[in-house]
Amino acid sequence: MQVVPLSVGRAARSWDEQHLDVAAAAGQIGAAPVHGFPDAVAGAAARFVATWQRHAAALAARAEATADGLRVTLADHLRTDEAVGQDQLVLRGFLHEIR
Amino acid sequence: MSPVITPPPVPRAVPPLVVDPGTIRTFAADLLAASAQVDDLGSFVAGAARIGDWEGVASTAYHQAIRPTGRRADAMSLALRHVARRADEHADALQRLVERRWSLVDERSHLIGAIEALRDRATAAPAALAADLQTACDDCALRVRRFEADLDTWVTDVIAAEEAMREAFARALDLDQVEQRYAGVEDPADAALSAAPGSGATPAEVNAWWGSLTRAQRRAVIATAPGSIGNRDGIPPGARDAANTVALGRDLAEWGYLEERGLLTADEERWLENARSARDAQHAIEQGIDPVDLVPVRSQLYLYDPTAFDGDGAVAVCAGDLATADNVAVVVPGFGSDGASAGYQGERVLTLHESSRTLDSSQSNASMVWIGYDAPDNTPWDGGWDGAGVLDEDLATRGGERLADTIDGLRASRDGEPAHLTVIGHSYGSTTLGHGAHDHGVPADDLVFVGSPGVGGATDHATDLGVDPGHVWAGANSRDPVANLGNHGSWHLESALDGAGLGDDPVEDDFGAHRFRAESTTRADNDGIEAFGDHSKYFDHDTESLYNISQVVNGRYGAVRPAGHVTDPWYTDPQDPEWGRRPGSPDTDGRP
Repeated sequence: MQVVPLSVGRAARSWDEQHLDVAAAAGQIGAAPVHGFPDAVAGAAARFVATWQRHAAALAARAEATADGLRVTLADHLRTDEAVGQDQLVLRGFLHEIR
Repeated sequence: MSPVITPPPVPRAVPPLVVDPGTIRTFAADLLAASAQVDDLGSFVAGAARIGDWEGVASTAYHQAIRPTGRRADAMSLALRHVARRADEHADALQRLVERRWSLVDERSHLIGAIEALRDRATAAPAALAADLQTACDDCALRVRRFEADLDTWVTDVIAAEEAMREAFARALDLDQVEQRYAGVEDPADAALSAAPGSGATPAEVNAWWGSLTRAQRRAVIATAPGSIGNRDGIPPGARDAANTVALGRDLAEWGYLEERGLLTADEERWLENARSARDAQHAIEQGIDPVDLVPVRSQLYLYDPTAFDGDGAVAVCAGDLATADNVAVVVPGFGSDGASAGYQGERVLTLHESSRTLDSSQSNASMVWIGYDAPDNTPWDGGWDGAGVLDEDLATRGGERLADTIDGLRASRDGEPAHLTVIGHSYGSTTLGHGAHDHGVPADDLVFVGSPGVGGATDHATDLGVDPGHVWAGANSRDPVANLGNHGSWHLESALDGAGLGDDPVEDDFGAHRFRAESTTRADNDGIEAFGDHSKYFDHDTESLYNISQVVNGRYGAVRPAGHVTDPWYTDPQDPEWGRRPGSPDTDGRP
């Protein structure tokens, strides 16, 4: 039988934390000072920083999407579980024991 | 008619080189700290993200879906680390190029002076001297050619350094290329960390492990697992500083990000305050200018744990290089010291460093403040008196053990000639030092107690401290009420307060320490509430105490200015001969 355990919810929260951590890293990359480089390098440094801020932000977004996906899975499971329970309740009125 | 003389050519000007290697190192540190966060995601995917008790199709899909994220995170972390290392190397290369440029500018200036002199001589030279003058001009022309060859080499080296850095940036721009290059590449940190000694290892064993690693492995451990070595006794100070700086950068970025979004918990708010204070301490030290070399003072973050002691935080920050300094001083602060006070403590330790350097320029120094124990939080002038913490030796007892371990670790982390090491306990920190020395042994050359409320109940005499009593020193401002809390004569605070109290006063005659002068020209007129300010002046510039502490730190014992001991005759209160002496103001910073 396939079940969705509590650890799925915990994993979703951990992915949320990863999202925040990597998003913070993206900000840190974006704020890294490039003005110490010589003029001939500063442009390349600025481009690197801007590009990598986007790379890290995209990675953070992947972590967030994974957390959201797990929550959707969990919600789907709960909805399905509840629907099956309701069906059973409805069905119970039509059931009689026959010996 | 004047003889025809061919003068030497004027050398080309040296092109400007506008760079800031320090800022480039900050850039590299930021990338390194970010790489640690990204690496954490890779490790998370390989470990904690796996949901072992979830089965079925959805579980399989989830575990397959996260794998590329982990692979990408690992590759990105390695790429960031690589660029950070290249930036660091670039900063070093530029530093050398800047220094070479100054030499070239100097050389050119000399050449121009010589050429002008030759031209002046040529204008008025008689024909008889023409040959000699031409020879001198030819010699000078040869020097100009050599200079220009050096200049060409320098320009080539600048261009090569710039090109190499641009290339490093360009090669890491595209993520697909990054993944091709780094995905599946083994992280050098993995093998290194798996061979790391366990938690019970001695500092010497830890030092031996670190020494066995390759350069690449050390760099990788610093970047990916700074917490595993940053506070570990036996790791060399330079590596601890590098690791703790990565951890600090990561914490500032992470908690700062959460703060901007209003997501910080109460605990995280305190940790962030501690982290910012640690950064302030680094900055305070780096703002200082070495009085001998006239270059900015180097800082080392030897200990960094903003969450320690229920959020009070633990920090040790140093001015100078602990790994190489001839004289190492470790200051143990007292009441009110916690992670959030590191910024202020950084300023204080800078004064000790400046003073030690000023008073003996022939030796190198490293001066560290160690907030590595849980000190009593409150002081009368800062939110009330934390009686439970202050009038009790429990915190000092536990802190003393940590201090002894720290000094053991510091000793074990140095190769070659050991430093002359002085531990200075101020206020409650002197009680902590007393316990460390008495209970565990502190492998220091000199022990200094200043503003001491007592050196711990078990220590009755300087000979109980595990060092030659000739190397036990004590200073107390006669107005300082905290320094007057120690036991005197037969009257003991422990007896009066049912076990409370912090032990004997180290400036009393029967304790057996050298007492040095520690009065301040701004001391209070009497022992009223304003005298509490005198408890915080021991590390101020141009004070007797800082002068004398620095002389001990430098091992110049003959220069220490002695003071008469406190006596406690049976027929009256303790007598301090320093009370009536007019304080001096010896120069400790070389400034008027």
